[in-house]
Amino acid sequence: MEIGVIGREMFTTGFRLVGVHKWFSVNDEVDSEKAVKTALEDKNIGVLVIHDTEWQELEEKTQTKLSNSVSPTVIAIGSSVDNTLRERIRTAVGVDLWK
Amino acid sequence: MSITDVKPTRSELIATRKRIKLSISGHKLLKMKRDGLIIEFFDILPKVKDMRSQLVELYTAADKRLAVAMVADGKSALKSAANCRQTPPQVELSENNIMGVVVPKIKVSTIQKSVEERGYGLIGTSVRIDESVHAFEKLAEKVLEAAELETTMKKLLDEIESTKRRVNALEFKVIPNLEEIAAYITLRLEELERENVFRLKRIKG
Repeated sequence: MEIGVIGREMFTTGFRLVGVHKWFSVNDEVDSEKAVKTALEDKNIGVLVIHDTEWQELEEKTQTKLSNSVSPTVIAIGSSVDNTLRERIRTAVGVDLWK
Repeated sequence: MSITDVKPTRSELIATRKRIKLSISGHKLLKMKRDGLIIEFFDILPKVKDMRSQLVELYTAADKRLAVAMVADGKSALKSAANCRQTPPQVELSENNIMGVVVPKIKVSTIQKSVEERGYGLIGTSVRIDESVHAFEKLAEKVLEAAELETTMKKLLDEIESTKRRVNALEFKVIPNLEEIAAYITLRLEELERENVFRLKRIKG
């Protein structure tokens, strides 16, 4: 399986330099939701890397679906704290352990 | 089932007692599962936190290098270098089971390659491009490790939450309700028996 990348051109170019062939650029014509939908149609993507800015633009429903997905495994990078993750820890354990 | 819907019979009492027993053992098992999941979570949390900070550092560094390369060499040079990379990094995705929670397991083939193995000509590219490729290779390796850990943690958190809800529902709703029903049936049966005894005495008298 391969790695898939979703983000602005600069972000995808960086990963293309590593050899990633499955990249989905987000621009004025293609929004994050559309890019994610296209990426999910490709069954050969094992890990989907998405930039945090594009992640924040996604609907909550899509975020939840992607967070719980095992194939592909999705990760958002670009920020130090994933606030949804922090909130989830607080709800499940009862304390904010991400300090 | 509410107390008003219950028929106060001996068979109903036996069935309710069986359900209480089952609920108690289920509650015990779920509590053990919740504790086990929390232990797993506490085991993974520091790793995820550490991984996240490493990821931020690597991403910032890689982004900076890429920006420098973009400014100095131009977009087209970067794109042509990117197009020269023939073999994409391969990942092997399998599933792991932690107490019924399906989590991903990612096996990666080596991403970091030497300059000769990268596929683009040495003369055609600058040091800045080489450096940004190297930075992104390091980042990609870390991203894959982090993806496995973070998804595992998210799935564990979801399961902890739902198990916690089930435990609480059994402890504070189901079991007390069943116990109340059993107590009601017992009371009604005793009353019926007393009525019966009284009736017999009246007939005899």
